[in-house]
Amino acid sequence: MGCTRMAEKDPQSTGRDPGVCIPWQEKMKDLPEIKGDPEIVKRVWEDVDSLAYIYIWHCLESF
Amino acid sequence: MPDSMQQLYDERLKRYTTAMRNEKPDRIPIRPFVAEWTAKYAGYTIQEITHDYELAFAAARKCAADFDWDAVVGNMVYVWTGLTQAIGIKYYATPGVDLPPETAFQYKEPPEDEAFMQPDEYDRLIADPTEFLFNVWLPRVSTEVSAEGEPTSLRNNMSFLKGGMAMLSYFSSFGEQGARLKEESGTVSAIAGMLKTPFDILADKLRGYVGLVMDLHTQPDKVLKACEALMPHLCHVALAGADPEKNVPITVWMHRGGVPFVSPEQFKYYYWATMKPIIEEIWSHGHQVLFYAEGNWTAHLESFAELPEGSIIYHVDQADPIETHKVLGDRFCISGGIPNFTLSYGTPDDVRAACKRVIDGVAKDGGYIMDASAIMQDDTDTENLRALTEFTREYGVY
Repeated sequence: MGCTRMAEKDPQSTGRDPGVCIPWQEKMKDLPEIKGDPEIVKRVWEDVDSLAYIYIWHCLESF
Repeated sequence: MPDSMQQLYDERLKRYTTAMRNEKPDRIPIRPFVAEWTAKYAGYTIQEITHDYELAFAAARKCAADFDWDAVVGNMVYVWTGLTQAIGIKYYATPGVDLPPETAFQYKEPPEDEAFMQPDEYDRLIADPTEFLFNVWLPRVSTEVSAEGEPTSLRNNMSFLKGGMAMLSYFSSFGEQGARLKEESGTVSAIAGMLKTPFDILADKLRGYVGLVMDLHTQPDKVLKACEALMPHLCHVALAGADPEKNVPITVWMHRGGVPFVSPEQFKYYYWATMKPIIEEIWSHGHQVLFYAEGNWTAHLESFAELPEGSIIYHVDQADPIETHKVLGDRFCISGGIPNFTLSYGTPDDVRAACKRVIDGVAKDGGYIMDASAIMQDDTDTENLRALTEFTREYGVY
């Protein structure tokens, strides 16, 4: 799911992608070396992060 | 769920989706967008259904069951003021708080100099819309959220916690509401997922209408870039809430691109140029979009006709459904077009005549869904709505 054609990034832009508040790449820098499966950590971070994204955009659009 | 209820639901879903694909079902589906009227019919105050969404859900279920409609929205009042109060949103006038308990909630657009986004803030919005919303917009629209540089507070923290929990609770409950509509009355949940256009978001929630039309003259390039920056986000939110079965449409609630709010050139260059790609993207994912075209959009019908066949359902408000059908009817399903004035202040015979005119002029070959022009609030007369329902059920058989 995603708006791929519209989300092609302008190299000048610092904006977050749709669905993202705090990108995984940014959060990763806070963490020690991951001893287990990094993909699980990344996936769950992004899933929960997307809820915050939905929150602010629905505040704007729906309420 | 008894087999007969499942069968009833399946028949209604087929009827509704067949019409939405601009084909001919067994009869015209009835899908009324009933909002505050549900409170009146079910015996609640408007304050009760606006502030307690479980009561709004109960009212919607009662109306769906009693009127035997094909499809309804789980809660057409939609704005749950318990949630907006938890966040501290200050642009609503709330029934029972700011307004009498029998008055529908109101949206208060701020004066131009107090707009939630100031004219010199386009660059920050364009650079990172999500950051702008959290750090600039939300503190301005909320009585609770601390602005940048201000110390945090218990109320700031509680706004995010309570707002997040309340939104999750509310949105999750629509799943159960859909299941209950299906099990208790065989009624289809009419829509899933919501979209606003970039231009409408700028007009409604950021710059305000007056501020935005001034910007169209003083900094038009920034307006266009802002609309473009909003596009992928609005598209993403629409798809995130869409029906995974791809049966029912995402709805776009259209406001400020109609006549007379912008000129035809402004419509094409700003409104349509940044709306059309979103609709095409959504269609590429297999979802239809219901154009809830509030007001009069007749001047722009030729633009809508550019869209892929079957990609939208076009809802008629302040326009002639027959004229609309002449332009769009061979490509898209039409819905609505029964005047709210007639439903509120006419007689049942007036309503039957209005329905007959629209059915004869629009629905001959299918591709029509019966509904009022605009969302029905508490001024809608119950006997008139009953006349719409019964007449369509009898006369609208193919």
